[in-house]
Amino acid sequence: MQLSLFTALALLVLTAAGFLLGRRRALAAGQGRAAGLHSLPDYYGYYVAMWTGAPALVLLALYGLFGGMLVNTLALAELERSAEPLGARYESVLEIDPAHAGLRAERDQAEAGRLAAREYADAMFTQHGAESPQMAEAMTDVDGWIAEGERVEAELETRESQLLSQILGAAPDSPQGLAARAGLEYAQLPIERRQLFISDIRALAFGEGMASRDTAELRAAAAVFQPYETTIKWTVCLLAFSIAVIGLARAWRRVAPGFRARNRVEGAISFLLMLSSAIAILTTLGIVMSLLFEAIRFFAAIDWRVHEFLFGTQWSPQIAIRADQIGQSGAFGAVPLFVGTGLITLIAMAVAVPVGLFAAIYLSEYASPGVRAWAKPVLEILAGIPTVVYGFFALLTVGPFLRDFAMLLGYEDAVTQSALSAGLVMGVMIIPFVSSLSDDVINAVPQTLRDGAYAMGATKSEAVRQVVLPAALPGIVGAVLLAVSRAVGETMIVVMAAGQAANLTANPLESVTTITVQIVTLLTGDQEFNSAKTLSAFALGLVLFVMTLMLNIVALRVVQKYREKYD
Amino acid sequence: MADDTNTSANGRTVYHANRHAHPVKVAAAGVDVSYGDKQALHGVTLDIPDRAVTAFIGPSGCGKSTFLRCINRMNDTIETARVSGSITIDGEEVNDRGVDPVILRARVGMVFQKPNPFPKSIYDNVAYGPRIHGLSNSRDELDSIVENSLKKAGLWAEVSDRLHTPGTALSGGQQQRLVIARAIAVNPEVILMDEPCSALDPIATAKIEELIDELRENYCLIIVTHSMAQAARVSQMTAFFHLGHLVEYGPTEEIFTNPTDRRTQDYITGRFG
Repeated sequence: MQLSLFTALALLVLTAAGFLLGRRRALAAGQGRAAGLHSLPDYYGYYVAMWTGAPALVLLALYGLFGGMLVNTLALAELERSAEPLGARYESVLEIDPAHAGLRAERDQAEAGRLAAREYADAMFTQHGAESPQMAEAMTDVDGWIAEGERVEAELETRESQLLSQILGAAPDSPQGLAARAGLEYAQLPIERRQLFISDIRALAFGEGMASRDTAELRAAAAVFQPYETTIKWTVCLLAFSIAVIGLARAWRRVAPGFRARNRVEGAISFLLMLSSAIAILTTLGIVMSLLFEAIRFFAAIDWRVHEFLFGTQWSPQIAIRADQIGQSGAFGAVPLFVGTGLITLIAMAVAVPVGLFAAIYLSEYASPGVRAWAKPVLEILAGIPTVVYGFFALLTVGPFLRDFAMLLGYEDAVTQSALSAGLVMGVMIIPFVSSLSDDVINAVPQTLRDGAYAMGATKSEAVRQVVLPAALPGIVGAVLLAVSRAVGETMIVVMAAGQAANLTANPLESVTTITVQIVTLLTGDQEFNSAKTLSAFALGLVLFVMTLMLNIVALRVVQKYREKYD
Repeated sequence: MADDTNTSANGRTVYHANRHAHPVKVAAAGVDVSYGDKQALHGVTLDIPDRAVTAFIGPSGCGKSTFLRCINRMNDTIETARVSGSITIDGEEVNDRGVDPVILRARVGMVFQKPNPFPKSIYDNVAYGPRIHGLSNSRDELDSIVENSLKKAGLWAEVSDRLHTPGTALSGGQQQRLVIARAIAVNPEVILMDEPCSALDPIATAKIEELIDELRENYCLIIVTHSMAQAARVSQMTAFFHLGHLVEYGPTEEIFTNPTDRRTQDYITGRFG
């Protein structure tokens, strides 16, 4: 840590020196006057500093990104090498252990039994149908064999860990012996637990965070890691330093009156600008790609029945979790989610569009400058409230109120978590969005149009209604579409206020669920990332992305068309 | 082109003769205008004849547009504007509390510097005024108002086959004539024009000037212009404003050939402005 810090400081000093040296050499070459040089002296300084600092910095950055990985690979390879004799002994013990051999035989038997039972069940299915008692009996048999297989597998694991601990206990307590034991332990770990093992070693070796356990074996492994880390760190730091010195020397030598330092520096800056935009674009692309690939995995998992996903009317991903499920196909019909999203969006827009638009009209056309000065910022504070706060407002205040009100009117099935309460509160959240954008658009309508209307003898409201609003309409439509895409993507309020039941209903007093809510429920908590259930979240995400993308494209087009007219 | 201003060597008598030929339509007396603390007009007094073109000239910021906007009370739309003094149209006080500016503006049409057709069709632009003031009882009547207005504005031949296309799609000169047609459609008595040609090319300008000359038959026209050549071409009376004061007012010919005030002379000979 301290070494890296020292190197970084040294590079900084070297870069500063590069600037001064480059500048001085340029001035000397121009006999102390800048007029004889192609560029201003500072540019020569920047040029030399650039070649001093940038390559070394890139090297350090690469070390920061991949250094740890390199150390892990090299050190683990050594651990595994030292564990080879132990590993061989373990393999041979497994071979000759009678209990283990017996269990292996039992496992093979269970597997064969399951296959036979399954075949019989398939025959019963074709002969007597799914509902027949023969079929039920056959399926009980299959389940019995599966349970048997699971039991044997568990016993096998227990026996293996017993044997492993015997082998490990027999190894000597010397550092080599301990390291070998750690290596064998690592080799026997399942893939998903290896990362934890590595972090524990690194924690003990370099103090990176807290180790989950602290054993002699782990300490021995840490001792194997340390020299690799030190060597690589020193190599990188020395390398960075020499690259900086070489860069400085080469760039300094190139400084001459005719050298176009300014163009070179500007080229480097434009490269930096390009890099920044590339990062933004590539990140977006990466997100879309990962969404797309996971969605494709999902569609593969449901046998490419994309139409069932898009047009199916039953959504219950929990049912499909078992591999032997019969009739798992109907569970991923996303239509209830689309309808729920649409319903809540509709309610939200029914609140946000009129209120937001009228507020914008008041603020831009009727309010005095004094009122406008405080009313506009206050309205925009609404946009700054975290959506989770809106969420509990909906859940604790609006929801119960609506339920009681509906009961008062004689609707007995009213629930607290309803599409209506989520939609209303979401509408309130979107008001500032609509009003702020519409206000901008209305203000952009040229004053000459208003003057024209007044000069024709129009009253204020006639001018607003018949001239200003039609002129602003394309922009307002754009604002509303942007607000819709905001509403479609909103999650927190709906999670809290609309419930999670995937009802296919148009009744705003019932619980509904939306695309975003389902994504949240599918991906939070303990999940396995290879089941169709979890993967369906990505397909939903893709649908959501495509929807909001299209809305945004349409909105931007509309706004653009409007701009062309008045600029 | 001018025929009714019998030009003689003696300017004042022509002015009086002129006023006899054309009764006073708009009369201003001691008009002061201020925007906040800044006074823009100082005691302007003048009589504007009917059925003639009166031009207001002067350097930028001299108050000529401000005075123009007093006549149809467009200054009401500016929060900080304060107007005092008297302006009468046919002897009726414009600034009277009992006068509804909305009704007043139906009597006093206005055309702006930049063509400002509404984002509607050509037909709806012209029909806008008649509709909000309820001037027509039937669709046919409205159709004939639109047609007549467009004919008077010299635009009918160019747009008769596309009345329902957007007014904003016309060229700048056509848009300005559309706006004039829109102003004529409510049958006003006075038409105010605030630099109506400053955003147009010379050919479009010539057409508008020709139109102004024709409209003189029926309306009292008041035009603010930066172009002295234009004032000389289209107007019968000219008023020269400078720094918020009305410096000189009289028949156009006299102002341009024999100005009495030194500042007028300097301005029209191009020494400032």
